[in-house]
Amino acid sequence: MKIYQVALKEIGKRKMRTIYTSFGIAVAVSMLISVMITASSGQKEVFNVIARYGHSLTIQPVDTKSGQSLKNFGIGTGSYIPETALPAILEVYQTAIVAGWEKMGALIFQEGTIGGAAFPPPTFAPRLYEETTIKGKDVIVGGVVLEKELIARFWWDIAEGKFMEKDDEVIIGRLFATMTQTKVGDLLDVGSTKMTVTGILRETDSPDDYMVFTSLKTCQTLFNKQGKISMINVRAMCPKCPVGEAAVEINKKVLGVRATSQMEIATAQSQIFQKTTALIVSFVVASLIISCIGVFNIIMGAIHGRMREIGLLKALGASKNQLIRFFMYEAILIGITGGIIGFALGSALSHIVGPILFKDIVIQVTPRFLVIAVLLGTLASIVASIYPALYASKIRITEAFKSL
Amino acid sequence: MIDIHDIWKIYDVGEEKIEALREISFKIERGSFISIVGHSGSGKTTLLSILGGLTKPTRGSVSIDGADIWSMNDKDLSSLRNQKIGFIFQFSSLIPTLCAVDNVALPVIYRSREHRHSWKAVYEYAEELLSTLGLKHKLKAFPSELSGGQQRRVAIARAFINKPAIIVADEPTGDLDSQSESDVMEFFSKINEQYQTTFLLVTHNLALARMTDKVHNMKDGMLLHSNNGGSP
Repeated sequence: MKIYQVALKEIGKRKMRTIYTSFGIAVAVSMLISVMITASSGQKEVFNVIARYGHSLTIQPVDTKSGQSLKNFGIGTGSYIPETALPAILEVYQTAIVAGWEKMGALIFQEGTIGGAAFPPPTFAPRLYEETTIKGKDVIVGGVVLEKELIARFWWDIAEGKFMEKDDEVIIGRLFATMTQTKVGDLLDVGSTKMTVTGILRETDSPDDYMVFTSLKTCQTLFNKQGKISMINVRAMCPKCPVGEAAVEINKKVLGVRATSQMEIATAQSQIFQKTTALIVSFVVASLIISCIGVFNIIMGAIHGRMREIGLLKALGASKNQLIRFFMYEAILIGITGGIIGFALGSALSHIVGPILFKDIVIQVTPRFLVIAVLLGTLASIVASIYPALYASKIRITEAFKSL
Repeated sequence: MIDIHDIWKIYDVGEEKIEALREISFKIERGSFISIVGHSGSGKTTLLSILGGLTKPTRGSVSIDGADIWSMNDKDLSSLRNQKIGFIFQFSSLIPTLCAVDNVALPVIYRSREHRHSWKAVYEYAEELLSTLGLKHKLKAFPSELSGGQQRRVAIARAFINKPAIIVADEPTGDLDSQSESDVMEFFSKINEQYQTTFLLVTHNLALARMTDKVHNMKDGMLLHSNNGGSP
């Protein structure tokens, strides 16, 4: 028999006190764990979005003159980048990406590879935006290079019909189709030309839903904007490419354009998310401290109820240190119990709260959270027990016996 | 040998000072079997507490084998209580969450490793002590499952587990019937003879005191006189 075994027997026999004390810890730990699990799962969701939509650049002309355009959504008309500038921008981009990798310590053995692994060239998807009126509605016609657009906007999908194949064909956004009651096969007057609607895009929750798309060449011809483009969507084809570096270099070296990294936007959003989580965690930590005070009161009460027992242990030869150890073992065992219960409650809570806070969240409960819960519970219990243990160790034997 | 020199114990009760013990001095040789008798409030239990290292005297010294126990630090004094002294308290003194045999073995956990026998040997001895005291069938019983007399016998067994040099007992047979009382006293005598263990008994029971070698009388915190056993 050892001191910790006596503590274990003490806890095992005094079940109700153990449950009260552990539950005080478990409630606070469960709140903290549920916040951590939900935040972690939410964070993964944010990074999934970044991985899905991120790692891309938007390059636009600096001076967008049109006041009525959908500038706020990244759509500007009336200002252009010459198509001839594309190779130069691509070169700046590639150079910046390689420099970015080198800055991160990667070895470029040969062009197009990083540390022996190949990285494909980026996809530059140019667009031309022109405003016109179709069926009495003001609308923007987007000229695109379809094969590149399908890479840059890989989430594009046709809900009805098919993508355009010929110069006199267009596809339209779902919202435009609904508002103008346009169907696949209808003819639309685009500029002075009649064009056939071959397909309707599936909703994208973006300005694309209220646009008409044709090929870049057709759009340039229709609106007499040969050799001009309104923006370029760049999709880096490697997941960790330093596109932020490329954006900085393009802005520095290519005059008249503004490159914006979507990754940076997503990262900024992620940072806001992290700060919000930290704020919530700080509130929950405050509740953990309050819980510690509750546990402290329970343990102090228990010590007053066990004065004779403490006096007896001292009379039998327990030193101050051994008594402190005895109470610390009790605290650890209560903390572990509280941590495990807190983990179970917190996991359950995160499955309830997570889906309310984040749409499509996948709650991921990993063993890491069990370890955190047990450590937190134990720490809280130890902190709450330090003073009571010291107090117990200093009780004079005769005083303990007088309390009978 | 225990050397008690000019022991005083004064309690402050509000403005008043109560002298629980005054000028107590005597020596106890190793292997002595002595009792202390006196009325309630005469200071017997206080004296026993001071001798056992439980209560610090206001003045005076207690030396056990030449070492002044009240100038020891907490660790050494705890170690002394654990290894040299076995206590039998007046009140029920078992740990309610431990069974009888665990209660008996409890003091051993506070011994340093180098002074500790194997746990197997400790438990064998604990079972032997309990068997000697008629509790062989109650080894795994918890205190709540034992009668007052049985609890007292478990506490007696516990006092002997570390084979101490001194047994300090306050009304050791208080809860026992006459047969059990006689058995316990016989057990004490046997241990006293076998191991030269010193016994210090505090009791109201004059019949019990007569069974000891020497009887000290106390009144109002003072040691009045001593008699040889059988004539207190």
